[in-house]
Order: sequence, then C-alpha cells, then structure tokens
Amino acid sequence: MPWLELLLAGMVAMLTGLDRMALMQMMISRPIVAAPLTGLVLGDLQSGLAIGLMMELLWLTRIPVGAAIPPDDTQVAVGATTLVVVFGSLWHYSGAGFMVLALLVAMPLGKAGQWLDHLARSQNSRLQKRAEQVLAAGDSSRLEQLHWQGVAHFAFAALITYLVIVSLGGLGLYFLSPVFLAPLEDAGGWLRLVFPICGIAVMLSSMNISRALTLFSTSFLMATLLLWLT
Amino acid sequence: MQAKLPGRIIFRTYLRSFALQGSWNFERLQGLGALYVMTPVLKYYFQGTDRLKAFRRHLGYFNTHPFLAPSLLGTAIHYEAGIAAGTGTSDNFDAYRQMVMAPYAAMGDALFWGGLRPLAAAMALLLAAGESPWAPVLFLLVFNLPHLWFRWNGLFLGCRKGFDAIEVIQKMRLPDLAVRLKEGTVILLGGFCAYLISIELGARSLSLLWAFACLPAIYLLGWLARKGVSTLLLVWIVVALTTMTIEMAF
Repeated sequence: MPWLELLLAGMVAMLTGLDRMALMQMMISRPIVAAPLTGLVLGDLQSGLAIGLMMELLWLTRIPVGAAIPPDDTQVAVGATTLVVVFGSLWHYSGAGFMVLALLVAMPLGKAGQWLDHLARSQNSRLQKRAEQVLAAGDSSRLEQLHWQGVAHFAFAALITYLVIVSLGGLGLYFLSPVFLAPLEDAGGWLRLVFPICGIAVMLSSMNISRALTLFSTSFLMATLLLWLT
Repeated sequence: MQAKLPGRIIFRTYLRSFALQGSWNFERLQGLGALYVMTPVLKYYFQGTDRLKAFRRHLGYFNTHPFLAPSLLGTAIHYEAGIAAGTGTSDNFDAYRQMVMAPYAAMGDALFWGGLRPLAAAMALLLAAGESPWAPVLFLLVFNLPHLWFRWNGLFLGCRKGFDAIEVIQKMRLPDLAVRLKEGTVILLGGFCAYLISIELGARSLSLLWAFACLPAIYLLGWLARKGVSTLLLVWIVVALTTMTIEMAF
C-alpha cells in the first residue's frame, strides 16, 4: 500500500477542506483547484485536471448560505483523484472509464462529508456556550483557543470524510472494476462529457435570471457554428 | 484614551477575518469568530473590566457573508474607538448590526457565490477543456482579486465611515453586478459546452453538426433537475443510458 501518497493526499484533503468553511475561503476547495492540486502532489496533474473539470459544475450552485451544508464536492474531488492515481497504478487500471467509475463511486460518499460537517458544527455549539460561560465568569484568556478548537473540528471532519471516500471507494472500485470497467471504457470519452453537461443543466435550471436559456442556447449555437466553419 | 489605531492592529484584524468562520456553530453562527477577529482591537482599546464588557458586546449572534463581514467589523472598530474615547452608547451598534447582517449576507451570496464563483469556474473550465494546467491558476486569480480587494477595502471603509459604510456599499449596486456576472457565466458555459462536445466529436471523426442534438438533451436534463431529480441521480442515469446505447450501437 502506498501509504506516503495517501498521507500526502490526506494533507491536501485537510487543507482544502478547511478552505470550504473554516479558514480563508479562497476557493482552493473547489474541485477545479482541489483535484489538480491532489494530482500534482501525487505526480499526475492531468488526471487531477480531468477530474476537476468533471466535478466542478455539478454542485457549484449549492451555496453555503447560513446553516445549509452542500454535498462535499471538495472531498469527492480529492478522494476520486487519489483513487484514480494511487489505486489505478496499484491495480494497473487507467483511462477515462476508470476515472468515471471512481467518480460514480466517490460521489454518493460525499454524503459522509455533509454529516461530518454537521457534526463539527454541533460540536462547535459547545465551544460557543463554553466561551459565553467563561466570559460571564470574567475569564477572557481561553476565548481564542476555543475558537481554534472549532477549526480543529472542521479539519477532523474533512480528514475523516477523505478517509471514508478513499477506503469505501477503494473497496467499491476493487469489486466493481472487473464488472463495469469494460463497458465504461468503451463509452469513455462520452461519459466524461456527461458530468459537465449534467452540471450545466443543473446550473441553468437553478439560475434565477431571465433569458438564461436563451443566452446559453445562442452562445452554444454560435460557438458550434464557428467551430464547424474553422 | 488612545485615538488612532496602529496599522499593525488593523492588519492583524484583516488576517483574522480569514478565520471568521472557524468556530461556526448552530447556536450563534459566526458569533465566537466575530469576537476572535475583534480581539486585537478590543485588547488595544480596553483594559480590565472594560475589556470584558467589550468582549461581551461581540460574542452574540453574528451571521453575514464572510467577505462583507470585514466592512461590518470595520464599523464595529469605528464604534469601539468611539466608546474608548468616551463618545457613543452601547445599544446603537447592536441595532445597526442586526439591521445590516442579513442584507450584507444576501448581497455577498448573490455576488460571490452566485455571480463571481461560477464566472471564474466557467473561464477556468474553458482552459481545462484544452488540458491547460493554468486552469486552476486562472480560477484562483479571477475569484480572489475581487475577494481580497473587497475584504481589505471593506475593513477600511467600515473603520473610516462607521455607520455610513452601508450607504457606500448600497451605492455599489452589487445585486445588479451579480446579474451581469451570471449572464456572462451562461454565455461562457454555452461556448464551453460546444467546445467540449466538438473535441469528442472530432476525436471520433464525427460531424460537428451532431452537437445540435445535445441541446434538447440539456433542456431535458435541466427540466428533470427543476422537477427535483438530484444531481447524483441525474449523473447515474445519464451514464447508464450512454453506456447502454454505446454498447448496443457498437
């Protein structure tokens, strides 16, 4: 087992996972960044880039408003890239079909990220109460430490989500690959299109602007004509 | 009484604003985080029991968009400076905070999550479709230049203008800007989609005119999504259908 690679990817998972909510929010948590970053660390940038492209649009419009927790596309992106690069070379699988299968397996496991994120936020409620208690008692020395404990909760949630996706996803891939890899490989390139196209369809359906469909269709048709002419 | 806040304290507040949501919780949301961001300022202005009182003023409910929070906390700094100097009372900032948190959150959500983030993604995906490793770099630049500018200037705006900061932000007409960004995103996505399909058609030596067949498929998928079919289910169904079609055709 390539433990070092899994550990390195786990560190990327934690860093990008913190960016989702707890720290920075500079969007290194978006699949288009998180997946290539994981790929870069594991020595296969192009696989990461391809997975980032496939994942980016799927849950892009599920925004973190107030208490709403979107599916954890960060850990799905990092986990799927790890599955493809690490397990792919371990079992000698590669190509678009394996990438698609890894994503299909990893995506439902993103649910774990939602639960763990929820758990971290519930744990943080205790920190808030504790902060209010110590402050009421006239002690202000531990407030900053309590705040950073919250960050630790989020980091822990991200790491566990990554481990769930890589372990259960790896197990799933191990059993599913022999059955599904051949037909998926035949359809390979087309299947890679399915992800961004579904993402675009979901985005168009949820965008609250008038003319979204008209603008999209016009742009699509013009671009197709231009590409056809050249 | 200290009057002017040193630059290093403002800079520390700016840096701490990146950790505003570190202890996000269901009780007070960013409450403890807001106090964490304000701590260097409050420590500078107040000592002893005054400091405890100041801390208590900032440990309440706090919930707004993280990128607009610095301007609101800048107003808080302006207000605390007033208290430290012996002017201003303790209930008007709380009322102001209650009043602006929700509109700031709505504006920030629409502009950054609804407008800028999809636009940056659409631009980056065009590069990624050509397998360019610069795609993530472009995404981060397009998103973060406005993001960092907004945090920094928001903080200064709040510090300088105090309670008038909201008027300046209102004049920026951010919701209108968000709509423009969304329109740009949709146009880019049209081009991206056509480009992606053309690559695949080209790789299989098929006529580009087949791309037109994809448009009704996208409408159908969008309709299903609107009817409440989850993204995950949508992807599974389309992958299964595509695989079966190709298995039968070849």
